Amino acid sequence: MGVTILTPYPLQNKSGAEAIEELSKRLLALGATQAGQFLVDGDIFEHSFKKIKIHVMHNSEYPASVFSILDNGQKQIPLITDLIFDLLMLKVNPIYSSKKMIKIESKGPRFELGDFLVKLGSVTMSQNQNFKGILIEVDYRPCLVPAFCWDLIKEFLQGLLGQQAPTAIPGYFTNTLPSNNPNQHYHRFNDTYQPIDTVQQYLEHFNNYRKQSQAPTI
Amino acid sequence: MDQPAAAMDSLLQALQVNIIPNQEYLLQGSVLDTAVQRVLHRLKGLCDNVESAPEQFSDYEACFSLGSPVTDQMQAQQQPPLFLRVIRKTSEPVDAGTPFQLRYIGNPELGDAKRPTLVRASFDIACSPTICDFLTEMGCQLKFEYTIRGYLFRKGRMKISVSKIFKINQEPISQSYLVELSVLAPSGHDSVAEDMRIFAEKLKPLVLLEKIDYKRLAQMGN
Repeated sequence: MGVTILTPYPLQNKSGAEAIEELSKRLLALGATQAGQFLVDGDIFEHSFKKIKIHVMHNSEYPASVFSILDNGQKQIPLITDLIFDLLMLKVNPIYSSKKMIKIESKGPRFELGDFLVKLGSVTMSQNQNFKGILIEVDYRPCLVPAFCWDLIKEFLQGLLGQQAPTAIPGYFTNTLPSNNPNQHYHRFNDTYQPIDTVQQYLEHFNNYRKQSQAPTI
Repeated sequence: MDQPAAAMDSLLQALQVNIIPNQEYLLQGSVLDTAVQRVLHRLKGLCDNVESAPEQFSDYEACFSLGSPVTDQMQAQQQPPLFLRVIRKTSEPVDAGTPFQLRYIGNPELGDAKRPTLVRASFDIACSPTICDFLTEMGCQLKFEYTIRGYLFRKGRMKISVSKIFKINQEPISQSYLVELSVLAPSGHDSVAEDMRIFAEKLKPLVLLEKIDYKRLAQMGN
């Protein structure tokens, strides 16, 4: 585990499959080796009459865990549990029900390149597998604090994606968080990175895709 | 290369082939404080961990209920609330990273007289310390909380606990110890119930382990 940055990749008139193939070729040319596939999925359970959503997410990198994020409109509470938590969510069924139409997942090839781990994910939504876009995950494994390795990851992404690479720090790391001391601003950027941070970044992007009304064609 | 299976699919598959231990076979009894040493001695002789002293435990337990959103009284009675317990050890060493456990316990099934033990759905889920906030925001209500301290014995796959329940202010709730004999097994493993009946026989007359009918107990309380 290290620090992971998740970034969407603009398609620019290419189909999803073409873009993944082109990026895969680029990575292999850089000397990366393909190391299996990955899958991150997200499901939403909604309260039958209150405005409470529970996002239940899985990441194949942590196959024994379930990451849940409760969102009541004002704050988010993360919870990490064993896989059996999924069974419990079936038990709360009349009160919280799953919205199958907005189940979303990102899956694709996983590459290793030195200290970096790169995952190229095609995002699909609902049971019809509507294609939504491409999310690239770059994990720099030797480091645990985003502030220490952001520049390195940025440079790596520029080498891989050229002009489409992000130049600014993702908002997830720079948002001010509530802190005990009101004079001191607290950001995730200087904090120790945890697996839930990867899942929360996915959640942000998944929610953006859910909001998009029209999907590009594959 | 193989696509990783969706987590939910692999879990449902595991459930289908009965490898998830989600059924608890249970017998309960109680013994007065003055007689507990005799039961402990007897258990030391009967159980697996003979040479070492019995394992001690001290847990905090909170019970939350998640009510049905149905407002109609009749329907609400048909759909009993869901009870979830949050458990955390309180014996040292404890730090901020000590995991919490979330336990779901279903309705107990007594079965007929032939069935030697009570059976109820039960599963334990290890979870991060945010669980209490998570449950509260989810709409769960804290029903009661207590600490439980005692001894743990093992005999094969059976678990025997002799424990005392305290209020949060450390005041004991009664003058007796709770004795529980339980096995957590996947569904369909009814043969363990017979082993439990035989073991319970060996503890007589020091402690009587029985199927407790909670409904009858509640009526007696009223």
